[in-house]
Amino acid sequence: MTNKKTISIVLGLMCFALTLGICIQVRTVKSSNSTVSQNYEENNLRAEVLKYKEKYDNKYKELEKAENELEKERENSTKNNTELEKKESEIKEGNKIIGLAEVTGPGVIITLSDSKKDVNSVLNASSLLVHDVDVLSVINELKNAGAEAISINDQRLVPTSGIICGGNIIDINGEKVGAPFVIKAVGLPEQLSGLSRPGGYLQRLKEDSVGVELKKYNSITIPKYTGVISYKYSEVVD
Amino acid sequence: MIFIAILIGCILGVILGMYAPIISYTYSSYLAIAVIAALDSVFGGIASVVNKRFDMKIFISGFFGNAILAILLTVLGQKLNVDIYLAAIVVFVGRMFVNLAIIRRYYVDKWSNKINEVKKIKKEIEK
Repeated sequence: MTNKKTISIVLGLMCFALTLGICIQVRTVKSSNSTVSQNYEENNLRAEVLKYKEKYDNKYKELEKAENELEKERENSTKNNTELEKKESEIKEGNKIIGLAEVTGPGVIITLSDSKKDVNSVLNASSLLVHDVDVLSVINELKNAGAEAISINDQRLVPTSGIICGGNIIDINGEKVGAPFVIKAVGLPEQLSGLSRPGGYLQRLKEDSVGVELKKYNSITIPKYTGVISYKYSEVVD
Repeated sequence: MIFIAILIGCILGVILGMYAPIISYTYSSYLAIAVIAALDSVFGGIASVVNKRFDMKIFISGFFGNAILAILLTVLGQKLNVDIYLAAIVVFVGRMFVNLAIIRRYYVDKWSNKINEVKKIKKEIEK
């Protein structure tokens, strides 16, 4: 019979591997936040969606790499040509405006979160939640205050973006976004922070005990739009 | 001794598992079935230690062999659109219960023997 020491070492190692596997598995399942439903079909569909999402993310990373290479090539080829350099900077300027480039600058971050109040303590439970209309109004005020680039939970707002109610989440750029909503806006912080003025929309949200937080920052980074902007019908009139 | 080693292994595994990188969701079903296989092997190992029939070669080959076979069956099942992994889970969990029964019986016997001995000694003292 093998002596007890080796047995215990081997068993300990096996248990180590086992618990390691369990931990990784639990964390993987948690990170993909898939709710396990009793419905077999539904579970399969959920798994399918997650797999496709992963594939999409991988492809997107590849695309980003290729875009970076393209950028480099472009820079190399336009180096010694002033006219091309001018065009290049024009493209960059355009991308900045329509939201296809990552931008950074001073601005504010507004966080809207659902109220922590008990549902039974108020007459209208709906007023405790942040709705699509609330986000829309805040965005509108931000634009009015001169925000140059806006993102909601890292979804960049572009000229074609819509903010739509989608049940317990809202739909921005076709992506589902849930509370709390972190709205980043680049612009003059002193102007943008005027949103918290008395009688403003943020103040009204606060009265409904919705969590509102506005902070000024010297430098915030807003990601670029990850989708494709396609204009099929409009043509430029000469 | 053996149980202390198991406990240390488990604690180390949890600590390292907290910081280990997570795998992609596509492979999580394979890891799940491998975990079940490993769990079965560990229970089998403890049961054989209790029975004093522990064989290192059989244990290690069983640990890896079972896990790999279960993963391969899962892959095959996904290709054939049959949930073969269910069969693997039924077998592994069934064996887990059997092994658990062996372990339980061993310790219950040990315990009742002890109680009987104590009673005997008490009776002798009374006489």
